[in-house]
Formats: sequence, structure tokens, C-alpha cells
Amino acid sequence: MATTLRLYLTCIRNTLEAAMCLQNFPCQEVERHNKPEVELKTSPELLLNPVLICRNEAEKCLIETSINSIRISLKVKQADELENILAKKFLRFLSMRAESFQVLRRKPVQGYDISFLITNYHCEDMHKHKLIDFIVQFMEDIDKEISELKLSVNTRGRLVATEFLKQFI
Amino acid sequence: MAFFNRVSPALVEILNKLQSGESLTDFDHNLYEYGSVRYNIQASASSPQIVNLSTWMPPLSPEFSSDCLPDCALQDVKRVYLDSAEVVEPSKQGYMLTLRIDFAELPQRKDRMKAISEISSLHAVILSSQMKDMLWNLEPRYMGNGMCNPIKIVHQLKEPFFVIKMLEKTTVIYPMRFKDDTDVILATSFFQELVDVSNLEAHYKAPRCTWSPIPPLELRGEPFQYLTTNGGFVSLEIFSQHIRGTKADNTVWNLLTFVSYVKYHVKQCTRGFIQRKMRQRQESLTEVIRSARIRGDEDVKKHQIGGHKNVKKLMNFSRSKMFKKRYTIITNKIKKFHYRIKIKWLLHRFRRQWLRVQKIPLLRKYRKLD
Repeated sequence: MATTLRLYLTCIRNTLEAAMCLQNFPCQEVERHNKPEVELKTSPELLLNPVLICRNEAEKCLIETSINSIRISLKVKQADELENILAKKFLRFLSMRAESFQVLRRKPVQGYDISFLITNYHCEDMHKHKLIDFIVQFMEDIDKEISELKLSVNTRGRLVATEFLKQFI
Repeated sequence: MAFFNRVSPALVEILNKLQSGESLTDFDHNLYEYGSVRYNIQASASSPQIVNLSTWMPPLSPEFSSDCLPDCALQDVKRVYLDSAEVVEPSKQGYMLTLRIDFAELPQRKDRMKAISEISSLHAVILSSQMKDMLWNLEPRYMGNGMCNPIKIVHQLKEPFFVIKMLEKTTVIYPMRFKDDTDVILATSFFQELVDVSNLEAHYKAPRCTWSPIPPLELRGEPFQYLTTNGGFVSLEIFSQHIRGTKADNTVWNLLTFVSYVKYHVKQCTRGFIQRKMRQRQESLTEVIRSARIRGDEDVKKHQIGGHKNVKKLMNFSRSKMFKKRYTIITNKIKKFHYRIKIKWLLHRFRRQWLRVQKIPLLRKYRKLD
């Protein structure tokens, strides 16, 4: 794996390990309600400073933390138009099936391609280090998958073109 | 996929039914295909083995008349169907060709099947003959500036392509249009591969392909509506070797169905393939998040239970959610405390008290669907 990618992922992992200290905190404004404060942003005292980690101009990760929830937004590398549509289709496909991932947000934050929302309940149900592993592995897999898809599409196109031209020979 | 098939499956089915003698009454059936091709099939009860098949299709080019079949096509039809059918002149009113098929003259089942297959590709025969006539016989028409006048061909409605006949070669130019932006990008990458493959030494005998995002010079002067595309222009250069002998039919049919071929590849093959790959990757990613659960084994087993979704929902509904929640809260509290003594008896007591639910054997009797 490229050195820059490894450093980028290590930085994200360390930030998540520090940021993922969540506890149950009922809503201060509405009785008997328990909402992820990072989404509402009504009480500034419950929010921590957001951290933006950029690998380059095209790839970045925004980590917003609050007392009971953390939101991770990712912008994925898209070198050309084909990668752009493949990334868009794939991430939209996953977002539509967010219930099977539990921590995935159905709609990404504006300016990003995909977002995760982790609450204190997720931390109670799941191992913290495995959650972080999931996020990091997700980022690696997305990059790998988009590159593989692009290669497959081009290879498939070449095979179809060869078969088409063979009919004339 | 039906566009690539020279044989019309609907015609095959109807002719098979007629030749088997299943229909005992007068038969008069109208059939429409590809939005513009019309067939009329008639058979009478008194002579069920004789079938009259009439057809009308729009001409490929405005140079051909729409009322009657061009001579070249008529000659080709007579030659191809010499053994299996007879051309009726004049044709039925409103149609450009009528064929009379006598199944009694074909006693063997194998001959009948072969005849039905040949007759069902009538559409392909007529179009191919018109296209061959244009590629072989039409003289190049030069405009004042030395360029040749393109001939517009409309095979499928609203998607014309152009043939430019020159002395040494014939260039076929396809303006490509797609409804979806994704299709445009996928098609553009396909066209780039097509151009690369056509320039390889291994394919020097194949027609040379070029792709351009802007209209080529040969189409200068054509109406603006034909030159507005989002997929660019694909040009194929056909030489005499490609339309010689037995290759002519194949070449002509491939040229006629090129646009459908591209759209089929983009829409069904590539997009379907992408969808399958995404699904596989989604499954592998969900396994990772499932393994992150603290009580990971139970949930994995739950997901592995096969069977009907409705039965699974009923089973979950039958266990009281309240009892399950209480049990979860208690066990979580217990995990936070450090006990030296074993507390199995405590858990066992709770389990006995709260979780005694009657088993409903009937609900469990279901067959796992493969």
C-alpha cells in the first residue's frame, strides 16, 4: 500500500481512538428524548472541535465529535469521470442499505461522499477497536473496489470490442 | 437482445402453430415488431397448410419507396425463399411483400423447421439486401468541395446513421445518444477500447474504427438535430473485403445492429455486472460490522437461519421484547461488576423466571427455501 495512504489511515485511526469516548447523554432540551448531539448541534458545550484530515485535495476525512455521538464523513478519490460515477453508484448503493451496516448514514454530509454516525449505543453493542477497524477497512476496501471496478469495466469493454470486430474477419 | 436475432421469435411461434394444424378456424393475425415492422399472417380453415405472410417495414433510406419493395430486395427474397415460399404479386394491399407458404410441399418435419426459421428472418433479409445495395451499387455522390454526400439510414426510429460511399471505401457514421449520463461515460470508455482494439495489428483485417466527440467533416451540412449527441460519433470504415462473398450478410447485419449492440452492452452487461460486484462487496463489508458486535455469535446465527422471512418475523414477535430487554439490561449490569464468586445460578434463575416462553412448534415447521 502507498506510504501516504498508510499514514492517512493511521492518522484517522489515532483520531478515532481519541474521539470515540461516548457516553449516554439525554437531550437537554426535550424531556425523555435521547438524540445524537453531533447531528443537532444545539448545545455548543456538548460538541468537541471537528477534525479535518486531508490526504490531498481530493481525499479528506471529517471527524465531528460530541458527548454521545461521533460523525465521520469521507471524501473518496475520483481521478476521472468513470471513477466518479463508479464511486457515486457504489456509495449510493451502500447508503441505501444502511440498515445492514447500522453505523452508516443514509445521506452523506454535504461536500462528502459517505458518512457514518456512531452513537453511545453502538459503542455499548460493539467493540470500540473493531468499530474503528471497520471504518479503516471500509476506506481501504472502497478504494480497492473502485479501482477493481474500473479495471473490470475497461477489460469487459475490450473483450466486447474484440468480439465485435472478429465478426468482420 | 431481440434486435441481434435475425429470426423473429413471434413469427416462429405462430408459423409452428399453423404448420402443426392446431388452428381449425380461419386465422388472420396482425403482428408488430420493433415499433415499425408489420406482419399479417392469414390461413383459412379449408386449406390450413397454406399460409400467406405479408409484411411492411419502413425503407432504410428515403431513396427507397415505402409502398413497394425495391428490386434488389425482391430479387434477394426470391432467391433465398426459392424452396420454401413463393412471392405473391401483387402483394396484399397496405403491405410491400406477400409470401405464400405451402407446408404440404415440405413433408419432413426437419424441412418445415428449417423453412420456418428462414421465413422468420424475412425482416433481416429485406434490410440486409437494401443495405448491400447501398454499399455495392450506389455511386458515390460528390459535393462541390470534394466531399461525398452522406446517405441517411433509419433502422430504428429516431436513431439514424449515415453512410458515405467513396470509391475505395464506405464510411458508416453513428451519432450516439444516451438518456443517462452514466451510460454516456460507460459508452465513451467502450468506444475508446474499440478504437484501440481496431488499431491493433492482430485486427488489421477488421474495419477501422474512430470516435469523435464532435461531428466529423463528412456530416457537415446535415440538419442540426442529427448532429446533437451526448455520446459522440463512431465511424467504421468498410472496405470491399468486408462485403465480399459470405461475409456480406454478417457485415451488413452487424452494421445495422451496432447501436443496439452498444446499448445492450452498456445497459445490461456493464451495469448488471457493476451491480453484482457491489452486492458481493456489500456482503463482505457487513460481515466485518457483524463480527464487531459484543454478542456477535448469536446474531450471526440469527442471520444464518434460512427460511421464510414472514416466519422469522413471527418467531421474533412471539418472544416478548420486554423480557429480552430486561435480560439485556441485567446482564450488562452484571458484566460491569467484578464478581469473585460465580454467578451462573443467578443468571440461571433469571433465565428460568423471565424467559420461560412456550415453544410454538407449528411455527417452526417450515422448509428452508434454497
